[in-house]
Amino acid sequence: MRTDFFRSFLGIFIAAAFMLPVSVEATAAEPIDFNRDVRPILIQHCTSCHGGVKQAGDVSFVYADFVLPPDGWIVEPGDPDASVLIERITTDDPDSRMPPPDEHPEPLPAEKVATLTRWIAEGAKWGDLWSMAPLVTDAKLPDHDFNWARESLDEFVSAGVVANALTHSPEAPPAQWLRRASFDLTGLPPTIDQIDAFLKKCVDAKSASEVDQVYAAEVDRLLANPSYGQRWASLWMDLARYADSRGFEKDPHRDMWPYRDWLIDAFNRDMPYDEFTIKQLAGDLLPDPTANDLIATAFHRNTQTNTEGGTDDEEFRVAAIVDRVNTTWTVWQATTFGCVQCHSHPYDPIEHDEYYRCMALFDNSLDADLDDDYPTLKVPADRSQIEDAIAAQRQHEIIRNERNEFGRSFADSIAWKSITPESASSTGGQLEIVGDHVQTKSGTFPVGVEYTVDFAAGSATETKSPITALRIEIARLSDDPTTGPEKGSVLSELDASLVAADGTKTPVKFADVFVDSLTGPADPRDALKGNDRGVGEFPKLNATRWAVFVLAEPLQIPDTVTLQLVMRQKASTSGNIATPVRRFAWSASDDIRWIQRSTNDELRRLDKALAKSNSRVNKIEGGLLPVMTARPNSAKRETRTFTRGNWMDRGDPVEPGIPNVFVKADETLAINDRLQFARWLVSTENPLAARVWANRIWAQLFGRGLVETQEDFGSSGLPPSDPMLLDHIANRLQSDHQWHLKPLLRELVLSSTYRQDNEVTAEKHAKDPSNWHYARGPRTRLSAEMIRDQAIKTSGLIDHQVGGPSVMPPQPDGVWQAVYSGASWENATDAQRYRQALYTYWRRTSPYPSFLTFDSPTRDLCSARRIDTNTPLQALVTLNDPVYQECSHALADRSLTISHGSIEHAIERMYRSVTGQFPTDLESAELMSLYRDLCDPSSTAQAADSKVDSAAMSIVANTILNLDKALTK
Amino acid sequence: MSYPNESIRDGVARWATRRHFIKDCSLGLAGMWMGASATGQAGAMESTGHGARGVHFPPRAKRVIFLHMAGAPSQLELFDYKPDLQSLDGKDCPASFLAGKRFAFIQGVPKMLGPQFPFKQCGESGAWVSDRLPEFQSVADKVCFIKSMQTTQFNHAPAQLLLHTGNQNLGSASCGAWTMYGLGSENENLPGFIVLVSGGKTPSAGKSVWGSGFLPSVHQGVQCRSKGDPVLYLSNPDDVSRQQRRRALDSIERINRATFEESGDPEVLTRISQYEMAFRMQTHATDAFDLSQETAATHEAYGTQPGQESFANNCLLARRLAERDVRFIQLFHWGWDSHGAGAAEALNAGFTDRCNEVDRPMTALLKDLEQRGLLEDTLVVWGGEFGRTPMRENRGGKEMKLIGRDHNPGGFTMWLAGGGVKPGISFGETDEIGYEAVRDKVSPHDLHATLLHTLGIDHKRLTYFTQGLPQRLSNVTQPSRVVEEILS
Repeated sequence: MRTDFFRSFLGIFIAAAFMLPVSVEATAAEPIDFNRDVRPILIQHCTSCHGGVKQAGDVSFVYADFVLPPDGWIVEPGDPDASVLIERITTDDPDSRMPPPDEHPEPLPAEKVATLTRWIAEGAKWGDLWSMAPLVTDAKLPDHDFNWARESLDEFVSAGVVANALTHSPEAPPAQWLRRASFDLTGLPPTIDQIDAFLKKCVDAKSASEVDQVYAAEVDRLLANPSYGQRWASLWMDLARYADSRGFEKDPHRDMWPYRDWLIDAFNRDMPYDEFTIKQLAGDLLPDPTANDLIATAFHRNTQTNTEGGTDDEEFRVAAIVDRVNTTWTVWQATTFGCVQCHSHPYDPIEHDEYYRCMALFDNSLDADLDDDYPTLKVPADRSQIEDAIAAQRQHEIIRNERNEFGRSFADSIAWKSITPESASSTGGQLEIVGDHVQTKSGTFPVGVEYTVDFAAGSATETKSPITALRIEIARLSDDPTTGPEKGSVLSELDASLVAADGTKTPVKFADVFVDSLTGPADPRDALKGNDRGVGEFPKLNATRWAVFVLAEPLQIPDTVTLQLVMRQKASTSGNIATPVRRFAWSASDDIRWIQRSTNDELRRLDKALAKSNSRVNKIEGGLLPVMTARPNSAKRETRTFTRGNWMDRGDPVEPGIPNVFVKADETLAINDRLQFARWLVSTENPLAARVWANRIWAQLFGRGLVETQEDFGSSGLPPSDPMLLDHIANRLQSDHQWHLKPLLRELVLSSTYRQDNEVTAEKHAKDPSNWHYARGPRTRLSAEMIRDQAIKTSGLIDHQVGGPSVMPPQPDGVWQAVYSGASWENATDAQRYRQALYTYWRRTSPYPSFLTFDSPTRDLCSARRIDTNTPLQALVTLNDPVYQECSHALADRSLTISHGSIEHAIERMYRSVTGQFPTDLESAELMSLYRDLCDPSSTAQAADSKVDSAAMSIVANTILNLDKALTK
Repeated sequence: MSYPNESIRDGVARWATRRHFIKDCSLGLAGMWMGASATGQAGAMESTGHGARGVHFPPRAKRVIFLHMAGAPSQLELFDYKPDLQSLDGKDCPASFLAGKRFAFIQGVPKMLGPQFPFKQCGESGAWVSDRLPEFQSVADKVCFIKSMQTTQFNHAPAQLLLHTGNQNLGSASCGAWTMYGLGSENENLPGFIVLVSGGKTPSAGKSVWGSGFLPSVHQGVQCRSKGDPVLYLSNPDDVSRQQRRRALDSIERINRATFEESGDPEVLTRISQYEMAFRMQTHATDAFDLSQETAATHEAYGTQPGQESFANNCLLARRLAERDVRFIQLFHWGWDSHGAGAAEALNAGFTDRCNEVDRPMTALLKDLEQRGLLEDTLVVWGGEFGRTPMRENRGGKEMKLIGRDHNPGGFTMWLAGGGVKPGISFGETDEIGYEAVRDKVSPHDLHATLLHTLGIDHKRLTYFTQGLPQRLSNVTQPSRVVEEILS
């Protein structure tokens, strides 16, 4: 959105009230429309007390059933006189009048009372919020100019132009259109050769339809250019909060670039939006996912990880989940969901617990704010190896799980006999035995703490048959589920021995270890090797977990001998916070099949396969891309509401789902996981996704969305300026183009609307200052990325490499000073210095300064809209940033070389390559005189034209890069 | 009309009015932080009847200098004198202090740790200040101590975000950005919200602590530097003289003016004026950051050495910027995270260095502002993001070689001076061991409400509509109040 739009916001305010179709006051002839006429009155005057948050007197104007019969009691459809609502707003009794006279001395204006009265008299029909209503497919267009329209959308625009007594602008000069379309489709300006070729074809065309073909061919050329994917990926990177670092204090590096490359590729291949959505939200849940499906899920791993020492990992895991919920609803639904975290939505019918139902959809992933960003996939830099590398890692996970399942399912099928220790001691604080459990009593249990648990002779096994396996259950200290997950509980190593009466010890050997679920990267058998992360749960203990230790051979314990277990605990979270087991119980099995199974052929086969896949995976080299992986059902987290949004204060458990307002009354919708949710989002059941995506695309081309609040399609956002046009392009996108973006963009840039001249007379500007009705072409500032890319492209410095790890173009010294971090910005010295903007390394705590100056978001959170500004700091960037200096020198040198040293030609060339136009006489003269004035007097004393002053020339180049025409499209 | 309710509609209208106003001045959005007229005309905007932003009542402060001690200094070694804690030194921490608490690093049962340095009562107010701040002891009567600060966050990044944006999560606007959004700037040749960092590190929460969050990006703080260009890209390149730059800007202006004639796009006019402002900023910012203009006596008082990146230099710059009517000046000094895990931050080592780095300059700043008549309309705020525990840190559950304290959100000290704040008082109290604020607790939200109040802004009326709510600095979802008791 541009500043000029801001400036005339007052104009829009008035326009919205008096001019736009949605806001037209009901005329006597027309029936009352709830959304258009009634909802605004209720929201303005009633919902702050009778809304979603406060429901004074059990009345809420957000929900129909609080208002209308049978449950509601304040409106009697068809009978205003019998309606409490009318009585209360018209009464003279100060004790009962609404809104209450003490705070609102003026009663509701008579015309609003009349509207409400008429609404009730006409039957009090309730209406969904406009954005949730089905797409309108059969709009009847009022008068418009058929001849002017090239595309169907032009007819809608024309109707608006006619209705507002405006006139269409003439067609833009071809070069103006080409510059605009090139930036909009590829993010880059056209080259002089491209402009010349296009102009020649236009001149050569024999008819208007041939000209149209020339334009169409040009669009097809642009859509097929690999830069297309880069340009549209940048838009999505704002939504995805893409960054190359993890956020917070140290803000360490993260290998996120494979996801960015996936985006570029998806746009270039014109992946339909439904597929694009499903892969990003739930690629891991697709049957037999491909490497790309898994890479796509990194979308929601762009949440931040707090690696600061001593943080509570659950706090930041929850923050990441909340971010995923809010981001999903902003990106696909433009619904302000964040406020429902603490209470029901103040204006829209979304209830508090419904937030947590959505959260339950996202709550069961394996990531848990771990410093290493687990789970990750190694992605090789060589693209040709990615598919195989990821398949190998996926296969490895499958085998790991299969192997564990071998023991897990058996453990579940047999009986266990609990065994109670005689004593339990610790090298740290005190332990106590309560029933058959051992638990921490008092004191400190630091990293490295060891427990010694003795089972007295005879107590270990009352049956006389030998023990074959031991099982530990690691339990929470608290039985209260509302306290949320506890600190992690990890048994790093188990040692067992038999202690004879005289104190001699005989070690007991274990053959294998199995656990209830694999929820981390550790192999359960690590608990025999003393690696940190043996068994239990890390970094948090959600619910009781168990592990089975299979003995190498059946153990018959003689009567006078004690079984002694030594439990070592070395795991810790960042800041060296120990995660000892705090409550546990042991049980034993005497099932002889444990011994047979540990030599079973199937297990041997799995072991071999695991060893093989392990060595394959270890050989893979590449960045570690965080991905989404579902937690196994056997370790499912229970999602509960957070009371007033406080994650430490949990309420009732909730089932996964979506808010009822999105479910049709006669429908039963099963949405239990991310995959079902993603499929619903892009189904025809959900009209919002198409409206929201169509609106974003429109905003990219026209500088402002048809719904200006791109991030909010709810009651608190602005209504669409042209609801019929919005629904039309949403329909085109979703139905006619089957969610393909390229054909929609094709018709947008080829439309008569887009092809209009963006120059405007003062008179016409005054009639519609912010081009609300599209009676002229869009004139918008280039984005931060486009400004850089134009400079490196026109100067010939650009390196066109697509994809790969992010790069560090020059940045002033000392911008990176993150705490506790050794990372430094190393200015690239090779071709990497001239990569396109979207490849610039994005560190969250310190984004590239010149991009921020040109209104890039920080990408801490999802950003649905950039707001263009116009500031002196921007001028300093394009005037003085060494990047633009280097480009200015290169642009001057290159143009001089091509122009064989002719100053005049070189200046014209520079001007054309940057602005896409021929300079006017005034511009040529001005730039020539600038050059002469800048020339070193000692050289100009002689024939100025014969000897080139390259320093002066590069200032001229820089001047051209700073012209308004260079910074806009 | 389809705005949800009165406050939103007012917000939009106010917003609209401001844009409208700025259009008339041909300043563009930048006018909000560059425009001289934004506040001067506040009254005029009020009279439009749309409740324009600007002051709501006569301000006591025109500007703010916020000295953030990043990493959180120990209140128990500086201002919050607790003799009872001394008698507990070395004893096991009673279980009652540990129940239900979350710590960053303390595990199990730590030992209590008495104050590490002697305190004395200073000035007429009799405020307690430790011997680590000998210079500051002389200005104790000029400041108001809040001993009962309390936050909800016990990790640096979230606590800093809460202290500066009113929300522990990312995405909200900083207090400086809110101030710019509310009041604009009084100096069109310098950014209105300037940030200076020392200690070699940016704060834990990164640049978001001076970010604009959901507010338009023009309101974000501009990080200036005491080394190199004070403002990024301020200097002309080596091969471009100021004269040449002027000549080039003349061409830009003439061509852009013609572009305006052709295109009819008023944004072009805004761009012309922004380029002119950039040119003026080059001289004004360079001049503002030129410490060599100061006298030897001033350098002596502050302990400044031109060309260095130091808290002392930044304090002197803060005064120079205050003189130039920069609205919000924020200093961050890193290095107060006194865990005792390393010598650089241990209470019995690096902590004294930090004290030495800030003692003289912050004292000189207060005296200098007062002497120049600036203290009365400048609010100075000093403090960290939380406090430190009365227990000695036992990282990994073991006694450490050096002495340190863990993070403590329950109670800490900040001080305020100048602009409408009562000097020489102490407000609020922590318990007998300095662990929890027990009387007159002040939250970051209360601090924000109070800060805005001194600037003439009602914190409940300065709102920006986003994410379904009329957001405000004092956080619409949390209780907050103006701490009237400390206002003069």
